[in-house]
Amino acid sequence: MKSVFIVYNQALTERVDAILDSLSVRGFTRWQDVQGRGSVKGEPHFGSHTWPAMNSAILAVVDDRLVDKLLEKLKALNSKAEMQGLRAFVWNIEASI
Amino acid sequence: MKIYESSVKNPITTVLVFIAVMIFGAYSLKYLPIDLYPEIDPPVISVFTFYQGANASDIETNVSRLLEDNLNTVNNLKEISSVSKDNLSLITLEFEWGANLDEATNDIRDALSRVERSLPDGSEKPMIFKFNTSMIPILMLSATAEESYAALDKILDEKIVNPLNRIDGVGAVSVSGGPVREIQVNVDPQKIEAYGLSVEQIGGVIAQENFNLPAGNIDLGTETYPLRIEGEFKESEKLKTLIIGNYQGKTVFLSDVATVNDTLQKMSLEERSNGRVGARIIIQKQSGANSVQIAKEVMAMLPKLQKDLPPDIQIETIFDTSEFIENSINSLTDTVLYAGIFVMLVVLFFLGRWRATFIIILTIPVSLIVAFIYLYATGNTINIISLSSLSIAIGMVVDDAIVVLENITTHIEKGSSPREAAIYGTNEVGLAVVATTLTVVAVFFPLTLVGGLSGIMFKQLGWIVTLVVVVSTIAALTLTPMLSSQMLRLNPPRKKGLSKSIFDKIEGALTWLDNGYESILTWSVRHKTVVVVSALTVFIASLFLIPLVGTEFIPASDNSRVSATIELPVGVRVEYSQQVARSIEQNLKANYPEVELASVSAGSADDRNIFSAMGSNGTHIINLMLKLTDPKERTRDMEEVGDALRKDFDAMPEVVKYTVTPGGNNGMGGGSQVEIIISGYDLEASGKVAEELAARIKNVPGTRDIDISREDFKPEYQVEFNRDKLAQFGINTTTASSFIRNRINGLVASKYREDGDEYDIVVRYDESFRSTIEDIENITIYNSQGKGVKVKELGKVVERFSPPSIERQNRQRVVKVTTALYKASLGDVVKGIEAEIAQISIPDGLSIDIGGTAQDQQESFADLGTLFLLIVILVYIVMASQFESFRSPFIIMLSLPFAFTGVFLSLYIAGQTLNLISMIGAIMLVGIVVKNGIVLVDFTNLLRDRGLSVTQAVIAAGKSRLRPVLMTTLTTILGMVPLALGTGEGSEIWQPMGIAIIGGLTFSTLLTLVVVPVVYTLFGAARMKRERKRMLQLTSDL
Repeated sequence: MKSVFIVYNQALTERVDAILDSLSVRGFTRWQDVQGRGSVKGEPHFGSHTWPAMNSAILAVVDDRLVDKLLEKLKALNSKAEMQGLRAFVWNIEASI
Repeated sequence: MKIYESSVKNPITTVLVFIAVMIFGAYSLKYLPIDLYPEIDPPVISVFTFYQGANASDIETNVSRLLEDNLNTVNNLKEISSVSKDNLSLITLEFEWGANLDEATNDIRDALSRVERSLPDGSEKPMIFKFNTSMIPILMLSATAEESYAALDKILDEKIVNPLNRIDGVGAVSVSGGPVREIQVNVDPQKIEAYGLSVEQIGGVIAQENFNLPAGNIDLGTETYPLRIEGEFKESEKLKTLIIGNYQGKTVFLSDVATVNDTLQKMSLEERSNGRVGARIIIQKQSGANSVQIAKEVMAMLPKLQKDLPPDIQIETIFDTSEFIENSINSLTDTVLYAGIFVMLVVLFFLGRWRATFIIILTIPVSLIVAFIYLYATGNTINIISLSSLSIAIGMVVDDAIVVLENITTHIEKGSSPREAAIYGTNEVGLAVVATTLTVVAVFFPLTLVGGLSGIMFKQLGWIVTLVVVVSTIAALTLTPMLSSQMLRLNPPRKKGLSKSIFDKIEGALTWLDNGYESILTWSVRHKTVVVVSALTVFIASLFLIPLVGTEFIPASDNSRVSATIELPVGVRVEYSQQVARSIEQNLKANYPEVELASVSAGSADDRNIFSAMGSNGTHIINLMLKLTDPKERTRDMEEVGDALRKDFDAMPEVVKYTVTPGGNNGMGGGSQVEIIISGYDLEASGKVAEELAARIKNVPGTRDIDISREDFKPEYQVEFNRDKLAQFGINTTTASSFIRNRINGLVASKYREDGDEYDIVVRYDESFRSTIEDIENITIYNSQGKGVKVKELGKVVERFSPPSIERQNRQRVVKVTTALYKASLGDVVKGIEAEIAQISIPDGLSIDIGGTAQDQQESFADLGTLFLLIVILVYIVMASQFESFRSPFIIMLSLPFAFTGVFLSLYIAGQTLNLISMIGAIMLVGIVVKNGIVLVDFTNLLRDRGLSVTQAVIAAGKSRLRPVLMTTLTTILGMVPLALGTGEGSEIWQPMGIAIIGGLTFSTLLTLVVVPVVYTLFGAARMKRERKRMLQLTSDL
């Protein structure tokens, strides 16, 4: 089991949800309206007047074999709409109840 | 959940809510009455007091002054003025606009009840008269007749007046000028004297004979019958055989001493229409009724009524206000439609997408229809003001939708789904959209608070634009994102074809424009001094245009009506006036092809017609009312026709004085007037000054129809009784006067009844015995012993001159010299008049003031000045709070002076003046012009925050915002174009506003696009420095 942390421009919400559904990822936790900026390029997402865009974040714990497929689909989505901004990070799950 | 989010997620609810609003609006529209202007009740109350037999100065001392002194205590009174004429005192109380007139009426009643006992015994109870707009006749018909002329009054009363009165909403139908039947008993004074009879005795006998009396009840068998004596004459012929006395044992019949004529009253007023004798029918509506509908119903009913009339009676329309209203409303409806089409074309031009255009255009009907709901809910009407307000608003309602849609499109192009793009795209610009709307509201809402006459005009304008713009913002935040989420797609490249080639070309042109603007901006920010100095020069130079443009109050509009009053020498016989009237008529027929109908009345007005009675009165006055053909069908406008008439009247030696009023005296459309008020007690001195002034003013260019309010002193004959002689014969003045009156004016002895109508039976001397001074001197007056004595033994008949009317204003005697204006600005004329006044030597005790529309103008302009300041402050507050900065709104406000440069320039080019309407246009510009600046400065600030240098930010922001700025500006400008062209009837009033807004907005936009970025680079540099310093401080102590 691995956890996948996905931060994305909230304009992409529907598509991210669709990707999760298509891979039958049922469980996740979502934070709405979170702020952040990328390390290299892209506009900051601050929800301010200057940088009006906002992010949402999803933490999904998925089966190991699904991780690659998920990342692949997310990458495809990001490359389709690069201006919007989407990142995903993966951790190991040590234990769970 | 935010409003736009829920509307995107619940499209059905959103659509249905707006459909509900539309249905409610359509319902309101269906039931809204149509009228020319909003209901305006002038804050004026008049008090009439009749005092038969008193002359002007008696009335002034005994009635007018007394009433004035008491009425002066009434609350909220602005001005009190009075006219004292023979037999009548007319006091006019003017209140502040918006004062509660019901309360004022009560106060007046109280004041009158206090003073009533001190009024002279013979005076009647003072009458209170309140004027309101529904009293202005909506329809005036003329009825002409040949053989049936004698019975015209009765026929019209039965066949026209009564049926018309039954129409719902008709307030009053009155007939004026129709002949009235009268039974005349014309006595030969020598004969009655021979028989020892007097006019009073004959009158008494007639009254006693013409008599019905219930004589009680009589029981016959089981029934009770009433008993009546019917002594009334069944036919007027019977009068002749009336026994009026005995002389030496023989019976004297009425026919022995008098002739009895069943005839028409001697007409003191003759109505003629297109050369035929007749009468005038005046139709007024009930307050709040729909003029257009009533006029239509009346016109529909007339052909039916015409069938019942004798064939020689013809009914024609003199004027029909509904015609003018309908034309005005139709042309304004066209204006709104054209404006809508223009706006649509602009949007399509810039966006190049049908779906996007459709979404934006949809906000127009949705927000405009709310105006009808407002009008319906507040009991207003569809009128020139409300419709013009719509056409003013139409270019502004799409602005918010444009901004929202533009941002949503950007998001879609960046790769979001339309649904998400709609929500987040709206979120980003929501605040800016609300802020720009607030600036517009900050301009239009204060308009609802303006007082005075202009306040009534602009109240609707203020409310309608405020409501419509607010609703358009709501629609832009709900309907527009919802529709975008459903309809917009990421655009595939266009397919080849006509539309591709057209839109590609447009796109190419727009890109060229963007690049061109970028290079201009780049040059400008490098040459700041040149730009700033030349902009300042342009503004200051434009200030020199103000005197060239000139000022006036309200521009006149061509309503195809000309009215004129012609005065012949005072005291001419009515027959002579009629003869002159006829020659004028012939001249009209021959030389004025544009006159469709000429209605001429000569002589003094009928007492049944309050409208003619309120104007000046007398046998020497001819009233002319012309209806011209449609403005498009004639070469001369109404002013030119008026001028030609003036020339003709100048050439007629018998005409003493005349006034020609193009436009007639209706409502606010009339031209402006300057009134010079000369106040002072000495009638002779003030009269002299007035005459001199009037002669001098003729030389001031731009003046027309100079008129002195006081008429010439009127020659009159007075019977001066010698009191000693009266006492000697035991006769008092009252008896003596009534004897003379009964013989000359006549004694109404009784009423002759026929078919339910009553006619006067008048006894007096035959006309041949009352046409010389000797006739009066030979009148025999009887004392209580029955002894007769001639008037010449009691006194003498002398000729005197008496002032026909004494006018007072604020309890001082005044004479007014008025002049109309033609193709001249009021300011210039007032200056010219002031120069003339300075050259006149004014006797002690006299003072001269200039008033009239000039005074109103000054008041209104002062109001507008305050309003302007208020609006500028409000707009500044709105912007400062949006930017959270004092500097940014200041930079934006720099576009204002150039708006005024544009206003002056466009008014000058179009030959318009600076008047109430164009000033309001200029005030509106405050809100409209700053919108561009907000868009520009807001985005520049944004780019600065994102880290661009001042110069980079200014150029990049300019380039990226050029299209939205041009688009919103063009929609507003093109929305105004139909108004500025002012082609239709009635819409000319708004022409100056359209021109002012178009000129101001065009000019200021062009300059704003260059000057504001340049000024930004001058003032905006400090902004980033401060920010950097703060950031340094935050980390410096670590």
